[in-house]
Order: sequence, then C-alpha cells, then structure tokens
Amino acid sequence: MTGRTIVITSGKGGVGKTTATANIGTGLAMRGHRVVVVDTDIGLRNLDVIMGLENRIVYDLVNVIEGECKLSQAMISDKHDYELYLIPAAQTRDKNSITPEQLREMCADLEKEFDYVLIDCPAGIEQGFKNATAAAQEAIIVTTPEVSAIRDADRVIGLLESSGLHRPKLIINRIAAEMVKRGDMMDQKDVESLLAVEVIGLVPADEHTVVASNRGIPVVHNPKSSAGGAFLRIAARVDGEDVPLMSMEPKTGLFSKFKGMVGMNGRAYSHA
Amino acid sequence: MLKTGVVQVIARGADVAFVIDENAPFDVVAAELREYLSNQGGLWSKGDITINVGQRMLAREELAEIKSIIEGNSGLKVTRFWFAPESLDSGELKVEAKPAKAEPVVASTAKTSAQPAAHNEIVLPDTAPETSAESVSAVESIIESLKAKHNKNGARNRNITEALFIKSTFRSGESLHHHGDVVVLADVNPGAEIRADGDIVVLGSLKGWVHAGAAGDNKAVIIALDLPSSRFQIGKYEGVAPTSAKRKPKSSASGPMIAYVRSRSIHVAPFAGRFARYNKGVPYDG
Repeated sequence: MTGRTIVITSGKGGVGKTTATANIGTGLAMRGHRVVVVDTDIGLRNLDVIMGLENRIVYDLVNVIEGECKLSQAMISDKHDYELYLIPAAQTRDKNSITPEQLREMCADLEKEFDYVLIDCPAGIEQGFKNATAAAQEAIIVTTPEVSAIRDADRVIGLLESSGLHRPKLIINRIAAEMVKRGDMMDQKDVESLLAVEVIGLVPADEHTVVASNRGIPVVHNPKSSAGGAFLRIAARVDGEDVPLMSMEPKTGLFSKFKGMVGMNGRAYSHA
Repeated sequence: MLKTGVVQVIARGADVAFVIDENAPFDVVAAELREYLSNQGGLWSKGDITINVGQRMLAREELAEIKSIIEGNSGLKVTRFWFAPESLDSGELKVEAKPAKAEPVVASTAKTSAQPAAHNEIVLPDTAPETSAESVSAVESIIESLKAKHNKNGARNRNITEALFIKSTFRSGESLHHHGDVVVLADVNPGAEIRADGDIVVLGSLKGWVHAGAAGDNKAVIIALDLPSSRFQIGKYEGVAPTSAKRKPKSSASGPMIAYVRSRSIHVAPFAGRFARYNKGVPYDG
C-alpha cells in the first residue's frame, strides 16, 4: 500500500497552515485512515502545541534524519483513539539541518505504512519551503481573503508548478461572511479568479478554532462548530469524496442584491 | 516558464524549430540537446539548419558547441547563424563576457535557397572544419563578418523570433524576457513581469508589470481583455494610471483595452481592432 504525501503551504505566515494540517490530519484519521503529520517548521515548531502533544516529545524530525533514533521512536501517537501520529520538528535547530532529499526519503518510508502523510510547511519560500515541498506529490495552499496572503499564495503556486507540483488545491481560511456581504472582504469567486486553482475548502472565521488550538484539541473534534464542520468536509474532499462547497454568503435581501447588481456596494479592496 | 522540458520541438508545416528554455544553464542545454538528438536522431537524418541566437548572449565556444552537438548527433548540417544586430552592438558575443545563463536558442530548418540573405545572416562555408578549436575560429570569423555587414546596414529586424505563447496563469515572481511578441492565454497576476521586444497580448486580466517594445520600439502595443495594471512600459515610455477615477478609462465593462504611445506618452483606449485610429485614449502619465 502506498500513501499520499500532501504538503500544506501558504507563503505568508499566520494564515492557518498548522491549524489546517492538524485539522485535516485529524479529520482523515476520524474517517478511519492511518495518518502521520510531519512538522517541518524546524526552529519554530507549533503543530505539537495545536495537537496538544507538546509534553510527549522525546525525539524529533532532525533526530530521525540524523539517525539518532528510529522513525517509530519519533512518532507521537495522538491523544484520541485514532491512527494519528505526529513527527515534531526540532526546536533548537534550523531549516538547514535537513535536506530535501532526506525528507523525501523519510516520507517515502512513511508512505509504505500510512494512508496519508501530511507535511506542515514553514512560512516563506526559502530552505524550509524547499525541504517540505520536495517530499510531496500533492499540495494544499492555505490563504486568507487578504491581498497580501493571496499575493504570496500566487507566488507559491508558481514555485510549486515550476518544481512539478501541478494543480495545487486551495483552502480559503477565515472568511468573515458579514464582511463579504458588506463588500469589505473578497469572496470565493474573487480569490478563485485571481489564483486560478481549484478551491477545496472554505473555512469561516470562527472563535472555536482559536479556543480549540489553545486547548490542544483541533476544532474538527467539534463538528458542530462552523470551522470544525468545514475542516471535516475538507478531509472528506481530500479523501476523494464529492462534497459540495458550502456557501459562505449570509442570506441577502432583495435590496442588497440590487445594490450588488448596480455596483453600489463599493469594494474596499483592489486586486491590482 | 515553459515547463515541458529544456528542449521543445515546434513544427510549423515544413519548418521545424528547436526552442530551448531560456533559464536553463548552458551545460544543461547542451546535455538535453545531445540527449534529444541521440534519441530522436533518426528524425533529423538530413537537411540544412539555421541557428537563430536572436539577441542572446552566447560565447563563441558555446555557439561552436551547439553546432558540433547538432552535427555530431544528427544528419543536420548547420549552415548559418542568425544574430540580432543589437547583440553585436553591445559586444555581448565576446568570449570574455560569458553570461551565467544561456538564453534561449532557436534553431529552425530553413529553405536556404528560397530565403534571401538578410543583413544579419551569414552562410557558413561548405567545408566547415570538424574539430572544435577550428569551429570556434569559424564562428569568430562569422561574427567578424556579421559586424561588418551590420555596420553597413543598421536596420532592425523585428521578426527575428516568433511569438511566445504562455498558456497558464503568469504568476507573481515569474519573469520573462522574450525577443518577439508575447501572447498570454490567461491572467498576468500582480508581481509578475514580462518584457517583450514586440507586442504583448493578454487574453485575460493584466495586473502585472509588462514592457512592450523593450528593445526600444515605441510602436509596440499592449492589448488585454482587462487592464487593471496601473504601471507598464512601451518602448522608452512609462505609463502610470491616472489616480482620479474620472480620468480612468472605462475598463472591463467596455471590453478589451489597448495601450499605445501617442505624442510621447502612453494612452489607453478600448480596443477596436489592430488598425483602428486611436485618438481618444486616456493618457497614462500619472
């Protein structure tokens, strides 16, 4: 059995890569798959905190790569009753501690045992990005509906395509339906037309996400929350299930629709 | 930008062009060319070939090596080199000025008898020397005679290179310099850069920075289905979109737009055909 290695990346920092990795990984495990999540943000590790596994770390990614421990020794089993494992990043090293080839080799080993290998990519497009993307066959881009995040996502998609990772999927995170309605935030169509890639998920801004991350229990464990439900649907789509995208638009009255048609709901942003 | 490999073969009727990735380093180009010809050698069993180096910077040894690779691995015979006059002016062909990157090399089989000799074209002597050292000196003599020819006839040949088609979104951070026209069949996103010595046509939304007529042609135009980009260049002129909404041309709603140079500044108007008279354009001078 060969698993799929998927890198979760964004270019810009703070858009929710790590949160997305933890939630999609958990979501896939909840669907009964064997999943391992790999934190490649060496020096700034976070994934362990979001998954609530911080105090179980003994060995890390760099230990594995440098041969100081076995792969299985560095894998931390999730608190819940799923086949979910974390390989944490080293906190005291830097991105140059590993090479793209080493990570690719390690992920190839993991693919033999797991259905999904999810790689949490660091922000930026330097060494850490090159390491993380070299190992993956597929990519998920996380962005928020802000021009800066979208510009960086555009750059990252270009870099991925030139390194052979074609057709990345897009998650638009932290959509505030009210702001979209007022015309103060880009909607799915705006982002989609700018980036020209397939959207695999829309995640609403939801304070449950923040609370869940702080507690170390990914929000997907609470499928009734809007963000939890969204991540569960994304996991299903990653898994190949055809789940339609949920509309983020709040219900619009006749008058605001009319205003939209004549272009009166002036947009507070610009694409250019 | 083209992701299909370093060497692409483009066939257009009886003519065939080898297009080589402009970002590839020269040794990669040489290796790919060698591999391609040894795999596909049977296809190229016979014929004369012209190598068009356009305005690219190639050292003499590199020209000689390309010649020896093509002749050594196929039945093709390199009979001519093409050079753009500009590259001779700036002395880019000097061996000492060896660039880090090899620029694209376009080699096309030409019906030698049918084509009149252009000012920047040279026919190799029939008895082309075989060893590489001698090839180098053959190339050098070509360059010398080219310079002499060019000095007598300084006219510019715009149609040296074919149009380049870009078929996917041109994204932030991507940049391209093509010595001909460029057609993008998608959007040009903010942060992307395209320089073309000819015209630039974008069948999508142009939001990035582009420079048409980059070799100094002020008659070049930029045409785009939507032109939200607020800065671009044509020839030596720079266009900056007017900031007041009143002076801005009606964009997307009115269809494709054209940017052109009139009375020493860039104007933008709704596109009404290549040969329409444009005199009601909005000046893009800030």
